[in-house]
Amino acid sequence: MSAIALKTLFLKEIRRFSKVWLQTVLSPLVTTSLYFLVFGVALGSRLREISGVPYIQFVVPGLVMMTMVRDAFLNTSSSLFQSKINGTITDVLVAPIGAFEMLVAYVGAAMLRAFLVGTLVYLVALTFTYFPLHHVGWILFFAIFVTATLALLGMVAALWAEKFDHLAIFPNFVLLPLAFLGGVFYSIDLLPEPWHTVSLFNPLLYMVNGLRYGFLGVADVTPEASAAVVLLSFAVVLAVASALLRSGYNLRS
Amino acid sequence: MKPPVLRCRHVSKRYGKFTALRDLSLEVYEGEIFALLGPNGAGKSTLIHCITGLAKQSKGSIEVLGFDTVTDFRTTRRLVGLVPQEINYDPFFTPLESLMIQMGLMGVKPNRERAESLLKTFSLDEKRDAYTRTLSGGMKRRLLVAKALVHGPRLLFLDEPTAGVDVELRQELWQEVEDLRAAGTTIVLTTHYIEEAEKLADRIGILHKGELLLVESRDSLLERHSGRSLEEIYLELIRKAEGRHAA
Repeated sequence: MSAIALKTLFLKEIRRFSKVWLQTVLSPLVTTSLYFLVFGVALGSRLREISGVPYIQFVVPGLVMMTMVRDAFLNTSSSLFQSKINGTITDVLVAPIGAFEMLVAYVGAAMLRAFLVGTLVYLVALTFTYFPLHHVGWILFFAIFVTATLALLGMVAALWAEKFDHLAIFPNFVLLPLAFLGGVFYSIDLLPEPWHTVSLFNPLLYMVNGLRYGFLGVADVTPEASAAVVLLSFAVVLAVASALLRSGYNLRS
Repeated sequence: MKPPVLRCRHVSKRYGKFTALRDLSLEVYEGEIFALLGPNGAGKSTLIHCITGLAKQSKGSIEVLGFDTVTDFRTTRRLVGLVPQEINYDPFFTPLESLMIQMGLMGVKPNRERAESLLKTFSLDEKRDAYTRTLSGGMKRRLLVAKALVHGPRLLFLDEPTAGVDVELRQELWQEVEDLRAAGTTIVLTTHYIEEAEKLADRIGILHKGELLLVESRDSLLERHSGRSLEEIYLELIRKAEGRHAA
């Protein structure tokens, strides 16, 4: 393994998203802050408590997680896909870089961007409401494994995609609906059957509720169940991404 | 005799039912300029891709300075440089940043002095801090050559480096190729400008439909066909091969 190559690829990815920070950092921060203002501040004042906490507090972990999920995915998927399209992936493919270094560099940079934006959303939320940190260990666990999982999924999507439309399927038709239906804005206890049960098959539900438990100590599912689903998702996506990179799928002919 | 810098043994490459390379064996020796000629689709780029890691051969083995390009890919890729046929550039970075990044990717500690020296060599020093997308086509092509050299490769592949390039820049590029050879770099190039290959190359390989029709030193090839240019010899060989395929 080349430590210099790994460090260079990691730093290159960070510089790439830093150079377009308006799009990669400020834009998601503004969008999520608007959600927070509309749902948390404006509507939240009219809604009763959910799961024993004020609604304005209830939505923040979901919004933080939704932002981190989106940004972790977008960072790897857009970077890798653009490299494929404009041909600069050649620079990496002819270098003494193996699948492991590619995974660590791309995923590490995406996680950093997701943490950065997630932290900024959290800090914006703090200006509106007191916000507890119930269990820092769970917060870190879910932040790390969820962003890693989504960054890996972004790599899989970029490897598979052959045009921009393919890539757009994931954030628009998979991640956003799953996040909205995964209890970002509500508790699934409010849902009638069969929707309550159906919601339990949504992996984003466990990601959102895992982080919510870490922040607030309340969640629709236990943190252990959330952790199990997140770890299983991580293992599956890691296996797929590793296999695709090792085989050179859609990269090396 | 010195061991070859590049040794391809019985290399075949298939894409589904299409055979791009057929049982190809080739050796390239230290310090020479080897010109790989052939019509479009002959397999020149495929062979270069198999050697540099952009593709994997279906059969056979490839060694660079005795290291296998599949099992010892980290070693061979440090020894090899590639100037790809298609111009590519990262719109996020300047020429100076691109060179520094490429050094790191190749496993060499990024060295600003080395990067600046390469920019000067390739007349890009005035554009070192400009976004790469603002460079002219010729400058982008020169940047590709500089990127391929950041790690001091022992074996350099130039895949049609003068395609779509004006006469002046072509001459500049070929002068740079001569300088690199003089500095000890072994060079494999592909070009459609046969007269340039005739002028530059020590040995010529002619590829047709994935098969090597001929590998010979330029001097002996021209001597055997006295009075005829390399272009005439090339066209005759290709026509004969086309005839055999048609028959």
